[in-house]
Amino acid sequence: MPTDWPGLIPVVILAGGGSLIFCAGAFWRRLPGGVLFALALISAAAAGVAALWITPANPSSEGMLDLSGYARFFTCLFAAITGLTILFLRQYARVRGFAGDELYGLLLFGALGMVLVAGALNWVIFFLGLELLSLALYVLIAVRKGEAASNEAGLKYFIMSAVASAFLTFGIALLYAVSGSMQVAGSLAAALTYPDYLPVILLSLALILVGIGFKTSLVPFHLWTPDVYQGAPAPITAFLSTGSKVALFAALLRFAMLAPEPVWAFCLPGLWVLAALTMVVGNLTALYQTRIKRLLAYSSIAQMGYLFMTLLAVKQGGLPALLFYLAVYAVMDLGAFGLIGSFSAGQTQSDRDDLADYQGLGYSQPWRAGVLAVCLISLAGLPPTAGFMGKFALFRAVLHSDYVVLAVIGILTAIVSLYYYFKVVVAMYLSPATAGATVPAADLAVHLAGAIILVLILWLGLAPSALFGLVDRLAAALALSS
Amino acid sequence: MPFPILSILIFFPLLGIGLLLFLDRKNHKVLKGAALGVALVEFIFSLPLWFSFDSTTAAMQFVERHEWIPTYGISYYIGVDGFSLLLIMLTTFLTPLCVLATWTDIQTRVKEFMICLLALMSGMIGVFAALDLFLFYVFWEVMLIPMYLLIGVWGNPARRVYAAIKFFLFTMFGSVLMLVAILVLYFHYGQTTGIYTFDLQKMYGLNIPFNMQYWMFLAFGLAFAIKVPMFPFHTWLPDAHTEAPTVGSVILAAVLLKMGTYGFLRFNMPLFPQAAHYFVPLFSILALIGIVYGALVSMMQKDMKRLIAFSSVSHLGFVMLGLFTFTIAGVQGGIIQMINHGLSTGALFLVVGMIYERRHTRMIADFGGLATAMPIFATIFMIVTLSSIAVPGTNGFIGEFLILLGAFKSNMLYGTIAATGVILSACYMLWMFQRVVWGEITNDKNRDLKDLSLREIAIFAPLILFIFWIGVYPGTFLNKTRATTENFIAMMEKAKATQVTQSQVFKGEAQ
Repeated sequence: MPTDWPGLIPVVILAGGGSLIFCAGAFWRRLPGGVLFALALISAAAAGVAALWITPANPSSEGMLDLSGYARFFTCLFAAITGLTILFLRQYARVRGFAGDELYGLLLFGALGMVLVAGALNWVIFFLGLELLSLALYVLIAVRKGEAASNEAGLKYFIMSAVASAFLTFGIALLYAVSGSMQVAGSLAAALTYPDYLPVILLSLALILVGIGFKTSLVPFHLWTPDVYQGAPAPITAFLSTGSKVALFAALLRFAMLAPEPVWAFCLPGLWVLAALTMVVGNLTALYQTRIKRLLAYSSIAQMGYLFMTLLAVKQGGLPALLFYLAVYAVMDLGAFGLIGSFSAGQTQSDRDDLADYQGLGYSQPWRAGVLAVCLISLAGLPPTAGFMGKFALFRAVLHSDYVVLAVIGILTAIVSLYYYFKVVVAMYLSPATAGATVPAADLAVHLAGAIILVLILWLGLAPSALFGLVDRLAAALALSS
Repeated sequence: MPFPILSILIFFPLLGIGLLLFLDRKNHKVLKGAALGVALVEFIFSLPLWFSFDSTTAAMQFVERHEWIPTYGISYYIGVDGFSLLLIMLTTFLTPLCVLATWTDIQTRVKEFMICLLALMSGMIGVFAALDLFLFYVFWEVMLIPMYLLIGVWGNPARRVYAAIKFFLFTMFGSVLMLVAILVLYFHYGQTTGIYTFDLQKMYGLNIPFNMQYWMFLAFGLAFAIKVPMFPFHTWLPDAHTEAPTVGSVILAAVLLKMGTYGFLRFNMPLFPQAAHYFVPLFSILALIGIVYGALVSMMQKDMKRLIAFSSVSHLGFVMLGLFTFTIAGVQGGIIQMINHGLSTGALFLVVGMIYERRHTRMIADFGGLATAMPIFATIFMIVTLSSIAVPGTNGFIGEFLILLGAFKSNMLYGTIAATGVILSACYMLWMFQRVVWGEITNDKNRDLKDLSLREIAIFAPLILFIFWIGVYPGTFLNKTRATTENFIAMMEKAKATQVTQSQVFKGEAQ
């Protein structure tokens, strides 16, 4: 297949924008404030618009990178995530003095990594994308150079990721050794051509799953999550917990769809257990947290659990629900972490993290606290928010595939989760205000991001049929091509 | 296209919220006035519903139907029949009175309070009007949050967070299991007919195997039984009622609890009629325990609000008993008793709220001899008390009499036990009334209490009007529900014959 240049425009924009920002930072001595911010925002938006509008002539570029609707859907999503993160970061980074070229440039390269991961049809592209994404994240997590917690988080994430990458690479190598193909579809199909090597293929897939499990904080590979989320600057946590997880999950979904029936049948019991564990551990551990970033870290683990639960049903029509929920999850989790960032005063070193510091915020900061509350209610899965529609679609898909026990476990843990999400709501609205640190006023960018997130959550909660229709078509197309 | 009156009723309060958002949060009078205006307009909008309701048919009226999420067969499908008509009218009738009752009671965060109240109103009407299972579930959950906030933000500071979370988790637990049951029902319907839909009326005709009905009835029943609340799921109620602000208690008692009983009527029984017949003994006995136990516990309460809360358990036991007789009298009585309980218990909570505003205590022991200090208050309190204990001439009598009539017809023993509840309710209410209102003034603080203001009398006047109206001429209301009830009884009669044993259910043999 030839190189499809028009289809690659989003990728080129992200790479070009990132490089341009680095060049501007290096060569433009007296940089007017806001240029880098504007460049980054425009690049992210342009990439999203390009993915939305340009219909590529070929389904893939040289069989390496997917250009179909599925990949374009995720490219748009990543562009949105990056754009919203940039909006949340503007004031946060400026006050703390790290709004340099490395921040904005790496965000764009991180987004590029995500696009490559989600669209990879070849293991090499997948690995390159993943490493690009991880490399950007290592630096971004530790971007506040003066702060120990931030550096520790960066180092922790680096070591954990390196181990995960090692597993992943070994898995890919094994798969290549059996199949002789670096193409994802081709190598997985080896299970059919060489049935004798099924154990080796399963082993390699298990190794790959460990690698992906690290990145998506699947229990028992989740231990880094709370520490890193707590140490990283809140808007970067937002980027990390939504973008990188959604990207890896998009790749995982593709692998699952491509996995032939005998392989998939072997994977199911293991996935069942991991999904149940992730939901239970994530939700129960979150109950005990008194720091909001750790609480949300465990909540995001639990959210991944719901997605893994539905992964079991992916071949029986669960794919649209998963795509829907991934988009919804990205919006609500990004909103929650982003707003935590906007509540954090610049003078103090760490973010506003203690739940006690959120007391009474609902009345002193009605607008931002309101959006945060909506994000949390959406994460908890209550109507009329997008989270409810998403969870409904997930559980519907799981019940449809007759995983009744798993669905019941999921629902019971979801009820448990209400308690800790409401802990934050209780602090904001029901508890008397304390004399905590002062809340900085939000700039226009935060207000804009908050408004976009609020509108998206309510829109997808009240009128989801447009997105449901879209993901249905995408899923049908992906099922045909796999 | 016909005039979408139900949609207007559901969404007009939301418009009102939009208006409130732009008002100055400091100006309490304007905020309260605006909320009162919205609630009154809503009440006026609901009047055509009452007057143009055709009481000769059991079919759904004022039906509106739009596709919502066609992929999953979910539609925005609403309509009313006799059952929901009365409850919607009760909601729109009580909300303005509630706003009026907050005039001096609520002084902090008035804007947010009014927003919650209006959101609650919209959710409640939605619950009673929804004819799509998914839509119903959405409304059912949506109104949890404003109620949670009402208890948690404006409640009694000492224990409000505990009460709010208890209320929330109890209801949520039941309703999430109901969601699973709704999905199972949806898939069953889809597999047998090939059409995936949440349309309630289509599901009515479905012949579900008994085995499945058994579990589905329990799953739906749990959600509704918690809401009613039936013994032994009532433990959230005393806490929620006691800690909630006055208006919260009124709404909770008058409308929210009715969502449970309404759920049984609208969903549980017609969807799973065989199972409903099968469970008559279980639910009747639970209802009877609720009647007697609620009454006995009420008698021992020292806090007036807690006493009324437990009396609700008893009164709603009557409603459930009536519904489970599957006789015209029993069901009609149950429905009218839902309204009665809304009027008289709502009024009782208002009474307690007004005395609490003056004295900042609700303990029975702190009062005595209020009749001397507050004659108008004492008169109103007496009328409401008498209505609550079902003295002939008041609304309570009609409801309880019809229920007992139905109960005796279906099972003598149930009727006899239930009848003791009437006596017990006289005991606890009159004893409370005696200790609070009659006798000498024992506490000097009660000597100079101000009697009810014109505004407070105006709140009670419409309530008392309806207490007597239903008591003297219940036909106005019973006629509206007759056709619906007859249709309901006929539907239930058809499913009567099945005899199934427990072991058959567990072995999966019961078809």
